[in-house]
This record gives sequence, structure tokens and C-alpha cells, in this order.
Amino acid sequence: MQWNRKDLLELYDLTPEEIELILDTAAEFKKVSQRRVKKVPALRGKTVVNFFVEPSTRTRVSFELAEQRLSADIVNVQASASSLLKGESLLDTIKNIESLQVDLVVMRHSAPGAQAFIARHLNCGVINAGDGAHGHPTQALLDIFTIREKLGRIKDLKVTIVGDILHSRVARSNMWGLLKLGAHVTFAGPSTLVPREFEEVGVRVCHNLDEAVADADVVNMLRIQHERQTLGFFPSTGEYSRFYGLKEETLKKMKKDVLVMHPGPINRDVELASSVADGEHSVILEQVTNGLAVRMAVLYLVAGCVKK
Amino acid sequence: MKEYLLKNARIVDPLQKTDSTGDLGIADGKIADPGKLSDPEVIDLKGMVVSPGFIDVHVHLRQPGNTNAETVKTGCMAAAAGGFTSIVAMPNTKPAADNAGAIELLRATAAHDGIVRVLPCGCMTNGQKGEEMAPIGSLKSAGVVALSDDGRCIQDHALMRHVVEYAKYFQLPILDHCEDVALAAGGVMHEGKWSVLLGMNGISGASEELMIARNILLSRQIRWKIHMQHVSTKGSVELLREARKRGIMVSGEATPHHLTLTDECVKHFDTNYKMNPPLRSEEDRQSVIDAVVDGTISVIATDHAPHTRTAKLVEFDNAPFGIIGLETAFALCHTELVSSGRMPLIDLIARMTTGPAEVLGIQNYSLAEGNAADIVVLDIDRKYAIDPDKFYSKARNTPFGGREVVGRVAMTFVGGKQVYDGR
Amino acid sequence: MQKLLMSAAQMPEVIRQIAQEIVDAGFSDGYALVGIHEEGVPLSERIADEIEKITGHRPPLAKLDISMYRDDIGKTKHLPRIRETVIPFDINDRALILVDDVLSSGRTIRAALDAINDYGRPALIRLAVLIDRGNPEYPIRADYVGKKIELPADRCVTVRFEGEGDPGVFDELWLDKHLSDKE
Repeated sequence: MQWNRKDLLELYDLTPEEIELILDTAAEFKKVSQRRVKKVPALRGKTVVNFFVEPSTRTRVSFELAEQRLSADIVNVQASASSLLKGESLLDTIKNIESLQVDLVVMRHSAPGAQAFIARHLNCGVINAGDGAHGHPTQALLDIFTIREKLGRIKDLKVTIVGDILHSRVARSNMWGLLKLGAHVTFAGPSTLVPREFEEVGVRVCHNLDEAVADADVVNMLRIQHERQTLGFFPSTGEYSRFYGLKEETLKKMKKDVLVMHPGPINRDVELASSVADGEHSVILEQVTNGLAVRMAVLYLVAGCVKK
Repeated sequence: MKEYLLKNARIVDPLQKTDSTGDLGIADGKIADPGKLSDPEVIDLKGMVVSPGFIDVHVHLRQPGNTNAETVKTGCMAAAAGGFTSIVAMPNTKPAADNAGAIELLRATAAHDGIVRVLPCGCMTNGQKGEEMAPIGSLKSAGVVALSDDGRCIQDHALMRHVVEYAKYFQLPILDHCEDVALAAGGVMHEGKWSVLLGMNGISGASEELMIARNILLSRQIRWKIHMQHVSTKGSVELLREARKRGIMVSGEATPHHLTLTDECVKHFDTNYKMNPPLRSEEDRQSVIDAVVDGTISVIATDHAPHTRTAKLVEFDNAPFGIIGLETAFALCHTELVSSGRMPLIDLIARMTTGPAEVLGIQNYSLAEGNAADIVVLDIDRKYAIDPDKFYSKARNTPFGGREVVGRVAMTFVGGKQVYDGR
Repeated sequence: MQKLLMSAAQMPEVIRQIAQEIVDAGFSDGYALVGIHEEGVPLSERIADEIEKITGHRPPLAKLDISMYRDDIGKTKHLPRIRETVIPFDINDRALILVDDVLSSGRTIRAALDAINDYGRPALIRLAVLIDRGNPEYPIRADYVGKKIELPADRCVTVRFEGEGDPGVFDELWLDKHLSDKE
């Protein structure tokens, strides 16, 4: 099994073996962060541009730290500071950046497929750090890595993802990754936010939380955006919390060793009760730790395929 | 004027319901008795089809406002290469063709630059804003053949009702882009399996169907012609079929791309698959094909929408809607509908000639002697791959580059003058 | 085409000699072997077996993957798969013997020295190899050598202890090795 891609765009594109290669590689990079010297020279002399056209703190910090621990040189470009506002096209902006002998571009953008679009026109590698509601492959990989580390496998596990699935890139990337590795995926949430169309690719769609999580091995709770309420997808965060928030009572009815995950940032006591977020089932902070290892692995593998 | 004798051709004439081999004469710009020509250029068309020239009721010429993408001149050349002898120019130019002066300018430009007949269409509302009625009477006097706010749809049903009523007196058909804006909000592709999987904002079929239903009700009440542009869903087809069965004065058009492509094409984010209405599901596509076959949809129109490479070379969300279609329409439809055995050639030609003629109120559109010699010659068995580099259009925004097709436009005559030779 | 350089039957005696030399060097207690992936790992285990036979005491073992320390990322066609690094002891102030199958350019050992440095500060580091090709590109020499072999640059030395194919040490063309390398 070899890695042959200069870009990581979406897990949909990858084979199960490629996904497992990333996870195995990440396991070794995780050890680097546990050492005295938390740094390796793998990307020494390489330049990585973090190009974030949509605001992000967590993902950007995680990528930045991963790049530093691989000894890469880093440039951060925020959309507000870039020439995008001056009416230059995205492609022109990125081509200008590439001309500075950049090896990798890590990009966040609000338009689905924006990374796939620029990757077609660039020689440097492109890593998708989130494109609209389409994909967020490194988030899904860190979720899957965490599940595999905790439960020892992915195949045949029951993973339930709860929340605003319609607008969630995290849900979609998790879906592709989990399905490829043989897990059973359930999407749960209000009928306005969980389209039935997902059934066509083998996902169970469920609008009742108790039913959705009853036999789950993993429950991944997504952040609910207040904005969806104003657009009329559900009446209030209070009502959302009542029907789809994960609380102690629900947890008692679930499997004893269930993992509770959340991609962050959490709306405490809205989609996730504070006691559950901080409770024994929660692996939320480990997800963050693993995110670093997964991103180091992805940067390392992709950099190996960027020819200079 | 030069005379032509087109010999041994398969002459397909939908209005006269004829499909047989014979000769056709052209003299004084008109179709003439082949036996009474004085000194014609004789062209042997053995194995080729001759039919009335195609009419496209839905073309964007981009002049004025976006002449980097297309001009009257290049658009007409593209039309000629596609076998179209008359094209209806949509009024969503910049500025919009919502006044007599704009129409007069278009007619003057077309008379000078255009090698096919350019039939102007005027706006229904000022600036296509859907707020105030455009000066429809003046537009008629300036020479428009129809009214449309194409690209936009009047959301105010009362205003739409008044426009249709007013247009009826001036005998101007309405060509309507059917879209409920609230239901389509923010959409960039068809709402369905693929929009859900890709995480893209969808345009629901209901947004089109709702306005088709509205138009049917208004047409029934006012008893005037409303033509539904680019019908794309199964639901729209069902509404249209039922309405036409009941004798309501509505008609519909289908575009070659809705007959050949589906929403799955969007999955690689190529902006040449972005159009409005969007490419729909396979079920919708099959329904639209059925409707073209049974005549529920009586018109094939291209919605030829040129954009520059720069405009389309952006993120999918930010790309403009639309693709060009004049130079690929016949080949795509012939391959998809006739070569596949789903409908006879004469019916396809009807959808591209008599169907649109009826919408525009053009009488007696046929190869009858004495009619203007607007003629297309088709090399019906010619197999080739579409090559956008050979297009006459200024634009290249087509998803069909490299596609294998059967059937090619060989010659186009407008008013007896040969305007295209693709042999 | 493969050519046999050392048969499976000859290997135990060569390995025993390396073990004897390490024992004779008289390292202070607590010295450890660090096998470099791939074939350095099984070789370090075999050397440890022999040391145990001679002294009755088995030195602790570590496994080291040097991929993250390579100097050719982006220059080769494919990155090798990263193997597990396991160092189950504190390396500070300890004598370490790096073990690899073949000493060729010296670049792997350069990377291994960098890697070791990131785990701590050993008292000293020595190098044991089964085969020394004798054409170093870096100023790196082995302290304990099973066999010295001189080969042209287009030839590749393959050491195999287990897995597919017969065990032994082989001489083959780089190209053949590359084509047969499915990883």
C-alpha cells in the first residue's frame, strides 16, 4: 500500500486501504507528540500555506501545530487579509501564492469543491480543511482514528451522528470514511436537517434520538448553529435540546461503553449536556489530541507526493 | 440572386408531414419548383436530409453588456453552424431590453452583423425586476415577437396576471422562466440525492412546478399563450401534459442538456454543469424525454448562455448559470432521441421548427414553394466527437467537449443565401 | 537476476560473531540494541539471542523507524510506510548499539542518529551491520560488521530473514528490486 496523492480532497475519493494507511501513519506521529522533543524534520525546507477563506480557530491551530512539529515553514493567509477582497479570483490568488515556491496549501473555503477546483490547476499539494457543507476529511479521520484507538476497530461498529446533518461537512466526511471501513452509520436529528436521501448510500436516517442511539457504539454530537433557527429549520434551541440534546437520562439507556464525541466547539447544554461532555464516556479532548497526529500524517503523506 | 438545386435529398417537412427523397429548388430567396430554375448551382445531397431551418426561441446574445462572451455577430454564426435560421434573443442584456430603443438597436445590429434572423424578445417588467410592467405596446411597435423576464420570474402573481392580460391584446406570447425564488433560495444545483451527498444548496423541483402551475392557471383564466422555458422536472411535465390535454394555451420547451445530462454530473464541481434550471435526476430526465417524444413538450430550445472562461473558472457556488448550446443542439438531440430509436426524425425536426413557430405565431413554417428559403441540410449519419475549439461562438462553456455524437449540420440557408457550409 | 551472497545456513555463524564482538567490547550494564526497520529489527533480535547464549543475559531491544528523519521526502517516487518505533527504556546515559542489515550510503544511519537524539542523550552509540558495502557517502563506519562486500552502484543488497522468499543475503539489480517491491 502506497500513498499516491498530492492532494487530500475528500474521503469519498480514497480506498479503505488508503484511509487505514493514514490512520496507521497517524499512530506513529501521535508518539512524536508524547516525546521530549515533539518535533521531527520530515518537512524541513518545505513551505506550507494555510489559506483560510472562512474563519476557523481550532482547525487552523491544529494544522499549524502539526506543520511546526514536522519542521515546515508556515505562512498563514486569512481571507480578510488577502487580495480576494480586491476582486481577484480565487485561482489567481492561489496561483500567486504558489509562485512563492510553496509545497502545500491547506485550504478552508465556504464553497463546496473549491479545493478540488484549485487542485486541478496547481502543482503543489492541496489539503482540504473544510469546504462548505461538502467535506472535512481531516476531522473525519481524527474521529475515526479516535474510535479505532478506543474500540480497536471500525468494521461493524454502529456510529450515530446527531444534529444538523444537512449543513455538516463533518457528517458527510465521517459517513464516507466510516462506510468505506465497514461501519454502520445512522444520521439523526430533526426531519428538516436530516434528508432521507442519505438512505440511498446505506445510511440509516432516524428522527428519534432514543431510537438512533439505543444500540450505538459511538455517538457523535454535532454543533447546532443558531443561524438555522432563524432560517426556520426548527423552532428554538430549547426545543432542539429537548428532542435532540444528549443528556444523562439518554446516556443511561445506551451501551455501557459507548463513546461520546463532538467535533467542537460545544454548545454546552444545547446539543450536549455539560455533565455528558465532561463525563466518563466523552473522548472530546482526545479527539483534539488525535487531530494533531492525523494532520501530521496527512501532511507527511501528501508532501511525499509533491514533486519539486 | 443565386439559385440552388438541392438534388436527391431526403426532404423532411413536418408541417406537410412528408419524409421522402426528392429535389428542392431555391430561387429569389424562396423555395422554388426545382424544374423551373434557370442556372442553379446543383448540389447532390444523396444520403442527406433537408428540412426547414431550425428556430431557437431561447438564445442569449450578450450584446450589449457582455460582448467578451458573445456578440450578435458570433451568436448568429454559431446559430448558423447549428442549423438555426431564426433565433429569439432574450432581453436580459445589460442594460435589459425593456424599451423600444434597445429593441431598435438590436434590430439594427442584427441587420448589419447577423447572418440568421434575430427575433427580438422584450422584457415583461422594467429591468426584469418584477416590479413594474415594461412598455409592452412600444416594444411590440419596435418589433418584439415575444415577452420574457428570462433568468428571472415574476414572483408577484397579480403583476404576472396583468402582464399576460396586457400582452394578449398585443398578441405577444409570454416565455416564462418558471422559478419560485423562495423555494430555490441560494440553490446551485438540483435538490436531490446528489445535492445532499455533495453538501450543496439545492433548487427543488417544486420551485419550478409551482410557477408552472401558476402559469397554467393564469393561461386558462386569460386564454393567452404562456410558454414554459426549459422544463426540467417530472412534475412540470405532468402539469403541462394535463393542461395541454384540457386545451389550455400553454407550451413548453426542453433543452438538449436536460435531455442528456443529470445532477450526478455535478460531482466533480465542473462549472460547465451549472445551469438554471439545474440538471435534474435521471427520473426527471426520462420524463422530459417522454414529453418531447409525445409532444407534451413541443419545442427544443438551447438556452444558449455564453460566459467567458474567466467567469466560469471559479468555485462552483460563485459561477454564473448557463452553457452554450447552439452548435451542439441538433447532434445531441438526434443522438439521444432519434439514433436511440425513441422518436422518428420528423418529430425531432418538428420540435425544432413547427413547434417553436407555433409558439411565436409564425404561420405555415414549411418547405412549401414560395416560402422563404430558410433551410438546413443535415448529414444525418455522420459520427464525430464534439470539438469546442471549432465553435463559432465566442464562448466555450460547454460540458460536451469530446462527446461522441451522430448527425451534423452540413449547410444552412437563410432567405436563400447559404450562410454555413460544414461539409 | 538474484545472486546469493550469503546463504541462510551461513547467517547464524556471522550473527554469532557480531554478538561475540559486542560482548567482547565490554559495555557497561544496561547497554541496549536498537534495530532499524525493516531488516535491522529481526537482526537485532537474533543478535540479542546470541548474546543471551554467550552471557546468559539478554540486552533490552528497541525498534526505530527513521522515515520522519529522511532527507529525500518528495524526491523519491514513494514514501516507505512508517513502521512502529518502540523504545521501551530511557536512552539517557545508556550505551546504544544501532543495528541495521546493510551499511551503504550511510544516510539511514545519519537519520537514525538524528532520531535517537530526539529521544534523549545516550552515553555512546555504536553501529552493527550484517553487510558493509563499503561505499559510504557520509563519514559513517560500522563498528561490528558481519561481512564486507564490494558491489557496483547499480546492484542492491537484499537481506531477508522472514516473509516471502528464501532467507539469505542477495545481490540484485536496483531495477529488479524496485519492480518486485509491491509495498
